[in-house]
Amino acid sequence: MRRLAALLLTASFVGAASAPSAAYLKLGTRVGTRTVTLKWTQMPIRYFVTDRGTAGVSSAQVQQAVLRSFATWDTVPSARASSEFVGFTLANPSQGDGATVIGFQNRPELDRTLGATSFMVDTTTGAILESDIFFNSAFAWSVAAQGEANTFDLESIALHEIGHLHGLAHSAMGETELRAGGRRVIAAEAVMFPIAFATGNIAGRTLRADDVAGIGDIYPSASFTRDMGSISGNVTKSGKGVLGAHVVAFDLRTKKLVGGFSLSDDGSFVIAGLDPGPHIVRVEPLDDGDVESFFDLTLNIEVNFRPQFYDKIVVVPRGGGTSGVELKVVAK
Amino acid sequence: MIPRTGLPARACRACVWVAMAWGASPAPAAAQVYIGREVPHAGTFEVSGGGVWFGGYDLGSVAAEETRNTGTGTGPFVLFTVDSRAKPAPGLQGRFGVYLARSASIEAGVQLARPVLSSRISGDAEEAPEVTATETLTRLIVDGSVVLHLRGLSFAGGKGVPFVLGGGGYIRELHEKNEVVETGREYHAGAGAHLWFGRGKRRLGARTDVGISRRSGGADQAGIKRMVPTAGASLAYLF
Repeated sequence: MRRLAALLLTASFVGAASAPSAAYLKLGTRVGTRTVTLKWTQMPIRYFVTDRGTAGVSSAQVQQAVLRSFATWDTVPSARASSEFVGFTLANPSQGDGATVIGFQNRPELDRTLGATSFMVDTTTGAILESDIFFNSAFAWSVAAQGEANTFDLESIALHEIGHLHGLAHSAMGETELRAGGRRVIAAEAVMFPIAFATGNIAGRTLRADDVAGIGDIYPSASFTRDMGSISGNVTKSGKGVLGAHVVAFDLRTKKLVGGFSLSDDGSFVIAGLDPGPHIVRVEPLDDGDVESFFDLTLNIEVNFRPQFYDKIVVVPRGGGTSGVELKVVAK
Repeated sequence: MIPRTGLPARACRACVWVAMAWGASPAPAAAQVYIGREVPHAGTFEVSGGGVWFGGYDLGSVAAEETRNTGTGTGPFVLFTVDSRAKPAPGLQGRFGVYLARSASIEAGVQLARPVLSSRISGDAEEAPEVTATETLTRLIVDGSVVLHLRGLSFAGGKGVPFVLGGGGYIRELHEKNEVVETGREYHAGAGAHLWFGRGKRRLGARTDVGISRRSGGADQAGIKRMVPTAGASLAYLF
């Protein structure tokens, strides 16, 4: 088997890229002409925690926060993910040593990065061989149960990074505003949104529907296949497929927001992990965020179109899919 | 055997035969102001078929919400709002009933309609144009009712007979363009009238009724119980 060490870095930011509401996205790697999803092929995911804390947070507290974050992902009923804490290590979170290590590093030069996840993957299969997470100790952190003013909540950021570790990319299910020095999140409905909530906020400790759908899509349990459904279709503009459009499905019964992206040149999209029932479908561009937070910049992501709704109520079947949703967008 | 009346047994049997013969023969039409005591009676069947109208009803309002960041306002961030409604719809209905007594019957019925659900989407945070998204359901209701015929309130020379009814049923709704079926329950109450023509044991008539149906489940979007007015008109046949 041909194995290549590939470093993929995906990070959680303080006031950086943004996008309007969108959807979960899976990390992928190109194998020939196709893209394969990055995923762990063996469970549980075995990880180490660096035996070093940061100001106000001991290594034991780091381990407990990471443990809770893994447990949050592990207990998603529609996914079969599991994890195991192996022990503390003196190693830094760095790729290439064969061990999955999570811990603090002081990276003052990354003045907008709270944390980042890197991978060692088998580029022929997409199998994740190793993944490391660092939290930037250049920022102030807390593990206080109710959060702490002027500090970032470690469990919230760990939950986001561990989402990456499982193979999830960034979701764009959120709103931001431009301010001096960057963007600020106004609201988000996904832990995997790339920009963190403000200091003292602990809302990021709870997975949202978009996150749950995403982890289920990568590691589907029997209930995901049996009980959930999908919506698929195409996004076109002037008869041509739109790449990188965000398509969001809103469940009229549960009020859950889950989405997907059009990921091919013909504008086709699939949103999986939806509860059965009627949905409203909305499409929008990544028009006010940093595209590189979501996609490779070499891709020709289309952002010049207006958000709009599909004019039919789309009903998702249990254990099946509704296809043929044609979203025709127009230029701004 | 000596009857209590003291009449001989032979005379008594004759009285019985006379009485039975009188009861079996139709009364002269000129003297009849009522359709006859014998129809309907216990065991008489009634079939009817015709049109039905289902009133519209609100399915509620829901908002697509996101969790607000600290210091950006209060309450959830509303991405857009959806107001849903089932539009009024015509349909077809058929019923089959059997009289348990002259003033009471039970019946089973089916109703078929294709109502349109509409969801008006507005207030988009990024100013997406307002849209009314729609879906057409195929709705089948199978129900059962107890019908009380108010013969004391008959009209039109006894040909018209009001009734009240109540019962419950099963709702089966098929979503547009896919195989998704959703089921629910309904309970109904109503009132109406029969107008029977002719005099024989088999009679043609008309039936109208209005009612209210309390429904839960089915394809409603918000999981709410709702009240649906109904009205129907049918041709009926008594036999």
